[in-house]
Amino acid sequence: MTTTKKPASRRRAPPEDEAALRATAEGRIRDPLELEEAAALDGPEPGVVSTRPEFYGFDIVPPPDRPPQTEREREVYTLGDGEMLVNMGPQHPSTHGVMRIVLKVRGEVVIDLDPVLGYLHRGIEKLCENATYTTVMTYVDPMDYMSAMHNEHAPALAFEKLYGIKAPRRAEYIRALVVELNRVFSHGLMMGFLALDLGGLTPILYGFINRDQVVDLLSAISGQRMLFNFFRVGGVNFDVNDEFLSRLGTWRAGVLDTIEMNEKLLTENEIFGARTKGMGVLTGQQAIDLGVTGPNLRASGVPFDVRKAHPYPPYPELEFDVITQQGGDTYARYMQRVAELKQSIHLIDQIVDRMPHGPVQAQVPGIIRPKPGRAYAAVESPRGLYSVYAISDGGPNPYRFRMRDPSFISLQAVPKLMPGRLVADTMAVMASFDPVMGGVDK
Amino acid sequence: MGHLCRPWTGAPFLGRGRPLTAPAAAGPLVRLLGDKLGDATSHLWTDEDTVEVQVPGDRIVETLRTLRDDPEFAFFFQADAAAVDYGVGEHFEVVYHLHSDRHPTWLRIRVPVDRQTPVTQTVTGLWEGAMFHEREMYDMMGIVFEGNRDLRRIYMSPDYRSFPQRKDFLLPDDAADSPAAGNMPLERPETWDLTRLEDAAAHRDEPGGPV
Repeated sequence: MTTTKKPASRRRAPPEDEAALRATAEGRIRDPLELEEAAALDGPEPGVVSTRPEFYGFDIVPPPDRPPQTEREREVYTLGDGEMLVNMGPQHPSTHGVMRIVLKVRGEVVIDLDPVLGYLHRGIEKLCENATYTTVMTYVDPMDYMSAMHNEHAPALAFEKLYGIKAPRRAEYIRALVVELNRVFSHGLMMGFLALDLGGLTPILYGFINRDQVVDLLSAISGQRMLFNFFRVGGVNFDVNDEFLSRLGTWRAGVLDTIEMNEKLLTENEIFGARTKGMGVLTGQQAIDLGVTGPNLRASGVPFDVRKAHPYPPYPELEFDVITQQGGDTYARYMQRVAELKQSIHLIDQIVDRMPHGPVQAQVPGIIRPKPGRAYAAVESPRGLYSVYAISDGGPNPYRFRMRDPSFISLQAVPKLMPGRLVADTMAVMASFDPVMGGVDK
Repeated sequence: MGHLCRPWTGAPFLGRGRPLTAPAAAGPLVRLLGDKLGDATSHLWTDEDTVEVQVPGDRIVETLRTLRDDPEFAFFFQADAAAVDYGVGEHFEVVYHLHSDRHPTWLRIRVPVDRQTPVTQTVTGLWEGAMFHEREMYDMMGIVFEGNRDLRRIYMSPDYRSFPQRKDFLLPDDAADSPAAGNMPLERPETWDLTRLEDAAAHRDEPGGPV
């Protein structure tokens, strides 16, 4: 190994001019003429006084030029001393979709933030009200695109309740199988995305190994990679086939290793712990008040799981416990995902063992006209309580089709947790709630 | 698709004339509602996993507070808040779904809201999480929640004027096969600018203009 000496020319040469030397040493007093010249060159225009500090690399947004509509809007967009508004998004990589957050910051500290939604709004509820009951399944798929099977599960249950039929037992087991597979896919990716938002690139690559295997599995059973269109009113579209079963065996043999790789990278990692432990603590009471559900609620110690609280088949026949964490911080939300991921694999084992024989689809016409009535069905999606409230007026399409998306409601917790934290931690806390903008914006 | 669709005139028969059938699971809750909130609730109805009652708009906050804080009800969790439009000439409805660990069923609370003056009380004082629900209902249906301190549009832009989830807001495409197909897809008739309809070509590129 050879060492190279620094060349002497790198060092700053001492100023030779005596006047310049004095100016550097004790600070030069400029004469007014020079000041004017300098202002004409690069200073602000005369008469314009900028009160806002200048930051480079951020997009500084001015407050809206219309009067504030509400008390809260006035609160967010009124700037105090040394505060400024900074845009995060709408295409920031850590917003998990197309979402804009207006951050009010003082230096590096977040004072307040205001999520601006609607960039992905497609009016899916309205479209579903103009579609037949069967075609609704195609519209709800791209809503929460990380858990499309859950999106179809709740409408299928609600429409069956309206129509007064039940899916065959084998169809119920296949449904549970695919939704648990989808949960593994979603939680596995969340581990990676959380690390990605903290600056670690590797876990997302391991996450995608598992995710691609699950996507191949689901595509083997439904024929689609992400927008499955698999559930039907009164059953599912296809029975399990040989390709699916062989792929399931391969996947099951290696999935715990893939998860363990990610866990080894993150769970005991000191940097990851320093960035997540004690960060964004949500108490159980706060979470209930804010309507936070799913793993985020259970990470705050509240044992509410729709699969137990309002069970839908076949979950009463399966053995599992409601897992909770006590921390309520970003790290607890991460640990909750890891625990539920393993629980889902355990559930998949049970479902495959106990799957009954029989048909997978009840005899239901393609266009159904349920009697006038109302039905509510909720399922536990990877992000929480996903529910559908459907009203029939006797026609071939739902009179009202309402979806409650869990990440839309959970997003309200972020502005409560961020004041006083640093800008960089906004991304960690956002990612720990695992919002999917397709679902938030409907 | 024409044969599948029908004009959305009001649907007055929805939500009336339901017989009371109380399965065993819902029995204690039905009795409790009759005992404690008998004067505030009406139109009691149940199916296999839901108990449904109707509450007048001016009593909704106190009723929900009783349901949340009374240890015998203990409906601590608001699962959903949705708005329903029963059509022109009918009424709106705000529907709450509540969860309690003490009762095995969902509790659905229906609150009728006048369609001409769609104003009702906010429940953000009870559950902070109702904020986004109410903002969505305001954005999509135009229901105003008195006392809500952040009632802004949430999906549409702030200068948008229509309420897309209303039944008189018709889809512009063929799938809807609506009387307004290809003309004016929007909003409440009283706000329609008919001059723009007559001269559609000139206003085609305007936001909110004819499609």
